[in-house]
Amino acid sequence: MHYEIAKGKLFNGKGAFLLALMAAGAIAFVTRFVFGLGATTNLSDNYPWGLWIVFDLVWIALAGGAFATAGLVYVFMGERFHGLARPAVWMGLLSYSFVCVTLIVDLGLPWHFWQLGVQRPEHSAMYEVSWCIALYVTILALEFAPTLFERFGWDKLKDLWRKWSPIYTVVALGLFVFLMSHKLWLAGIALVVFAIIVYLTRNSAKDIGVPVILIIAAVTFSTMHQSSLGSLFLLMPDKLSPLWWSPLMSVLFFLSAVASGFALVMLMDMAISYYFKRPYNWEMLASFGKVLCGALSVYYGLRIIDVIVRGKIGLAFSSGTGALFLVEIIVGGILPIVLLSSAALRNKKSVLVFSTVIALLGVIFNRMNVVLLGMTLPGTMPGGLVGRYHPSIIEWAVSISLIAAAIFLFAVGAKLLPILPKVDTQETPSA
Amino acid sequence: MSKAVLVDTTKCMGCRACQVSCKQWNGLKAEETYLEGRKTGYQNPPTLSSKTFTMVTFKELEAPEAPGKMKWVFAKRQCMHCNEPACASACPVTALRKTPEGPVTYDDAKCMGCRYCVWACPFGIPTADWDSLAPRIRKCEMCFDRITGNLTPSELNEKPATGEFKKEFDESQKLPACVKTCAPGALKFGDRDALIAEGWSRIKASPSKYYSHIYGEKEVGGTSFLYLASVPFEKLGFRTDLGDTAIPHYSKIALEAVGPAVIGLGGLLAGIYLVNRRKEQIKNETNKGKKE
Repeated sequence: MHYEIAKGKLFNGKGAFLLALMAAGAIAFVTRFVFGLGATTNLSDNYPWGLWIVFDLVWIALAGGAFATAGLVYVFMGERFHGLARPAVWMGLLSYSFVCVTLIVDLGLPWHFWQLGVQRPEHSAMYEVSWCIALYVTILALEFAPTLFERFGWDKLKDLWRKWSPIYTVVALGLFVFLMSHKLWLAGIALVVFAIIVYLTRNSAKDIGVPVILIIAAVTFSTMHQSSLGSLFLLMPDKLSPLWWSPLMSVLFFLSAVASGFALVMLMDMAISYYFKRPYNWEMLASFGKVLCGALSVYYGLRIIDVIVRGKIGLAFSSGTGALFLVEIIVGGILPIVLLSSAALRNKKSVLVFSTVIALLGVIFNRMNVVLLGMTLPGTMPGGLVGRYHPSIIEWAVSISLIAAAIFLFAVGAKLLPILPKVDTQETPSA
Repeated sequence: MSKAVLVDTTKCMGCRACQVSCKQWNGLKAEETYLEGRKTGYQNPPTLSSKTFTMVTFKELEAPEAPGKMKWVFAKRQCMHCNEPACASACPVTALRKTPEGPVTYDDAKCMGCRYCVWACPFGIPTADWDSLAPRIRKCEMCFDRITGNLTPSELNEKPATGEFKKEFDESQKLPACVKTCAPGALKFGDRDALIAEGWSRIKASPSKYYSHIYGEKEVGGTSFLYLASVPFEKLGFRTDLGDTAIPHYSKIALEAVGPAVIGLGGLLAGIYLVNRRKEQIKNETNKGKKE
């Protein structure tokens, strides 16, 4: 696979618009820390989490495109989609970095962040997610590193990377297993298993251009934190409607992240073609649409079966939140699955774009329902006095500016680094 | 032995001295409150907050036997101090923890302010200090400092405090501030098992006076605040839909699976990669063979 630096001007009207949004966000960011959470947000004891957490959950689900695509390309040998892997990883790295920024903004006492490194809670999903995301960001950085080495001709660093990144990865996986299980012997097994994997795949850097253990770690860490974001809500069976709350929430969060991740990567590829005036890859996107259709079918299949088996499907037609559930399932799931399953339809540009967008919106809607709309909050004891929550302008400004920053930096990266696949060599397999 | 408080709401007269003593002991600021009218009646303040760790709810219920056919029922509310608290299980930095003594305590030196505890609590207890630039979580700690600390001075009334005298004095002080101050004796501090037994003997002694249930004996796996009442608990505004399963059990299985799942998934992916790689190689070799 050969890559190239994007052509075209960066500072056009779109770039200026993004910069303006980022400037507004920077002001909002400073305001939040000068005046405090209570004064600048509409968060309260009744709504302790709001827009920022919805944004994080949505964004992490979409950024699942990075691991899902990397896994598809390198582990499942989806050679056709190779051109998407590097942009997806760059998008993932930016997304996760900005999710961390949002988390810091959202934390009341972010300067106690280091406590995550010294405390050892037993079964905290928040702890799991924090560690997993932190380690995954380092793996993403390692996945992305060769782009820099190529650009600047740092061959020595590349050799070091080839040699040491697998070792770091094994240690990171072992550490993670230890922190989650508190069991040295289990961490020992993890170290041994992953060391064997590194040995068995020692030629992978030569074969596929990246030590495959990095991809394996990326998929593993992603699977764990995507599912643990679902586990966060397992503690709320008393608040979340049973149309969303399920003992399988962890699995459902993971599966929906794969689906929405694929959808985002497809839209990202279209956006790249549009922004940098490159030819659209409709043929490749249509076959990616088939992959998306498969991912959606697995997710919504399990989602619907789960609600039926738990005997809660009746609520879809009787409860107040039932309509939200039906919209989520039918518009976000069944409709794109039906459209994408037909080869004739998914090869139509308009149908492909439409189905991808609604599939993405379906998962976004799911996260909104889980955090806010499907929740019945009892309110602070003795309860009964829960008002409404509307995000404040500061909350909106921070979130929107971070999206703008991610898009802008994505373009900057594509402009400065060999991230996008070379247009003329796209159809030929990698050398 | 795990300590608990038995709240006999039939003895509560709604004086709210517990609210005052709680504020005094915990050094909590006053808060400007207002009556919520039809929603909460005379109840003031309307809810707990970062400045109010305990409050008495006021409910006026229909009671055919009472003069005027109405009666007031009061209930002192605060953190329930669950045996297996959802908040402590949620906390990523162990700032909240269940102590062996019974109270669920909070350490602001560890807290990052993520507020997952506020979401997770089925009773709506943890509150954040929203006015502050460093919004700590605030809640009742069952006066952990009182019940575990030494509150007896070495000398009292110019006499050395030792022996029986010290023991007696200790016993009179090592109580949560609210229990210490409760004039009608609606609150009783002691070992949890003993208080449950006492609760049931009170119910059996006057079955007409009590609704036959101790709230907190089994709810969400049991709590360290136990309630007796004259009416069904939902009439007092208690949640009766929570079930007896401790909330942390719901996420425990998923989280315990993480360690083994990492190893299993990693192995599986490596296997898939190796098989696919081999397939590719065979394909390439046969292609080469054909060409030659």
